[in-house]
Amino acid sequence: MASAPAIAVVGSAIHAPRDPKQRSLEEAMYAVAKAALFDAGLSTDDLDGIVVGANDQLDGRAISIMMASGSVGGVGRDILSTPSAAEHAFVLGAMRIATGQYRTQLVVSWSPTAVNSVPEALKLGTDPYFHRALPLDELSAAALQATAIEHAVPGVREAALGIVVKNRSNGAAAYPDRSPAPLEQSWIGSGKMLRWPLTENMVSPPAYGLVALVLASAAFVKKRRLSSPAWIHGMGWATETGFLGDRDLANALALAEAARQAYRAAAIKDPTDAFQLAEVSDATPYQELLACEGLGLSARKQWRNARKSARFASDGSTPVNLSGGALSFNPVYCAGLVSIAEAANQVRGRAGHHQRKNVRRVVAHAASGFAMQYHTVVVMGADRREARS
Amino acid sequence: MTKTRVGIIGIGQSEFKARRDDANYPELVREGVALALKNCGRTLEDIEAVVYSLAPDALLGIGNAERLGVDAVGARNKRFMRINTGGSTGLSSVAVAHAHIASGACDLVLAAGGDKVGESGDSQTILNKIWDPTYERQLPLGTITMLAMSAVRAMNKYGMTEEDMARITVKNRANASLNPNAHLRKKVTIEDVFASRYIAWPIKLLDACPQSSGGCAMVLASERYIKENGLEAVWITGVAHCSESYFIGDRMGKGFVADHADAHALGECFERSYAMAGIKRPAKRIDVAELYAPFSNTEFHAIEAAGLAPKGKSMAMLREGAFHIGSRTAVNPSGGTLCTNAIAVSAMVRVAEAALQVWGRAGAHQQPNAKVAAASGNGGDHQFFGTMVIEA
Repeated sequence: MASAPAIAVVGSAIHAPRDPKQRSLEEAMYAVAKAALFDAGLSTDDLDGIVVGANDQLDGRAISIMMASGSVGGVGRDILSTPSAAEHAFVLGAMRIATGQYRTQLVVSWSPTAVNSVPEALKLGTDPYFHRALPLDELSAAALQATAIEHAVPGVREAALGIVVKNRSNGAAAYPDRSPAPLEQSWIGSGKMLRWPLTENMVSPPAYGLVALVLASAAFVKKRRLSSPAWIHGMGWATETGFLGDRDLANALALAEAARQAYRAAAIKDPTDAFQLAEVSDATPYQELLACEGLGLSARKQWRNARKSARFASDGSTPVNLSGGALSFNPVYCAGLVSIAEAANQVRGRAGHHQRKNVRRVVAHAASGFAMQYHTVVVMGADRREARS
Repeated sequence: MTKTRVGIIGIGQSEFKARRDDANYPELVREGVALALKNCGRTLEDIEAVVYSLAPDALLGIGNAERLGVDAVGARNKRFMRINTGGSTGLSSVAVAHAHIASGACDLVLAAGGDKVGESGDSQTILNKIWDPTYERQLPLGTITMLAMSAVRAMNKYGMTEEDMARITVKNRANASLNPNAHLRKKVTIEDVFASRYIAWPIKLLDACPQSSGGCAMVLASERYIKENGLEAVWITGVAHCSESYFIGDRMGKGFVADHADAHALGECFERSYAMAGIKRPAKRIDVAELYAPFSNTEFHAIEAAGLAPKGKSMAMLREGAFHIGSRTAVNPSGGTLCTNAIAVSAMVRVAEAALQVWGRAGAHQQPNAKVAAASGNGGDHQFFGTMVIEA
């Protein structure tokens, strides 16, 4: 079986501007790109290419990569954009290095909140003939998915509420300055109903956030003696169909395929206890349940007892979303790339307040689009290893 | 450098038109996919990954419209991502498909897309939104006025005339008349060009590209897959991208970072792809070039950036008969973007036409004995550039 060249995350930065009205998006992009390069011990001159994940609707632009180019060092460089998902930028950046044509890649994405209405901007993603007239946006699509899951697994709501408590507690410990709230399960479940069965406290409001990662080849890591790389052991990505009506929202077939690709590349046969932690998509707690099932971390029949087993808690054997996830901090468009960055930081020993000890291998999962249309799975580890292809 | 050779094995193009009321957007994308798969005898089940080619969402009026195209390209439960670098998107998408294979991730990848620019209402109003909302959007900037300023600068710097521009139109329209997929296929004369109305001086209606609708798709495969399956292919031997500054103002006035008369970053981009292909003297090696030039004046600086003429000399060379089919290097024998512009796939059509030429399958607009071809794509406000070298 062939192996692709080893590639690592060597720098990252997650940026949540405190003063969005005082700092333009371009300035914030510059800051996050520079911070990731600083973390890697590199400069813009070291970049062979850049991939950005940018969404025209949220940015209020027609080709939003254009304004990013100068801010992230794109002038004179090879820069591409993956509007489908921020996490696709990571996949493409890693693939570009694996071709042997590039030594390094900067991967950047952002999610501003300056648009008049985030739901209205995202509603433009519905097809104009059948769905546009419906009150369908990403939140209502997520609610339809939650409904389907509650129907498939009666009594799962309690576990979902427990996930919110877990992730909010993790988020409060990880990033005290962001102060995610509330933490009480009874309050979370009984708040104002936004889209049934999701209460306003079961999701997190859109947040202004940016994220950047620096990727490098093994040869470059060695040559520049870069410290604490997180090696990419495997990647997988796949899509569901675009029409919600054509999908069984209580199952994530594309996630199963993405996980299959990633685990095959990483030579993981049984993922159950393969990782020291997981960072997964959790725009709603129901998404985290689907993600853990799709990644092979928990079977559906275990969902209702998941909280009792405490396996996924911060002190459990496989903590899930130690960073607090999107339930604590929700930069809508780039939340998936933030999950990948958080997982990489754990391997690199640079996760900060929420660093777990002795992290050797992690899995990151990202989902984008209505009711998790796109799924991406990335396995990273402290040991240098080539992904099998 | 990449060890896995990547070949083009299938090409599908719509017959591009102003309107396609008979096909909705996903159906238009599917049209190109079906043709490309038939061209190489593959099925959707064979495809491992899809790279979706879609430029500004606003032209379709659907946010992230690639999501609705998933079934049209058969990507359900497969690797899928969308690329957008403006007008260069089509070439960038083929480059990303190339990366899927050259990285070892896949053996068989589909790049596909489509556009309905002709049905988008007012594309220039939409394209005005590509500019910065604080400084440059307030100006009457569109892609036509943007490149009219480039033409004015080329007139001042190199002595380019409106007649020189018209010669490009006459050449490309004659080429397009031989290409059954081209949108504008009627031959015109220099007098016809001069008789057409000004849109943004010195660009006249016949100096400008149409708004086209149609789909395009390409199937790429690893050398191993091609050999194991006994397939015919042409090869991508060079691929690169390069970007210029965002602000148009940075390309004008005193202390500009790049001269708006030229295509500085396109030149650097070509140098990169030629280096990858081992081409040192492109004017002697390139038999045919499909260069993204949506307005007649921009073909001159594209020719020069491709190393096919010294700076400022391409106008005189055209007057002397260069760049026509049958000359040393045919430029845009398909008619080019000037005759067909379905933005999301225009740059993919450049790659497809370059591939057809070195394959010897270009039909009536075939450049004789073409073995080495160059292709380019331009995107944003003349900001993003992608180039490829394709060899038989």
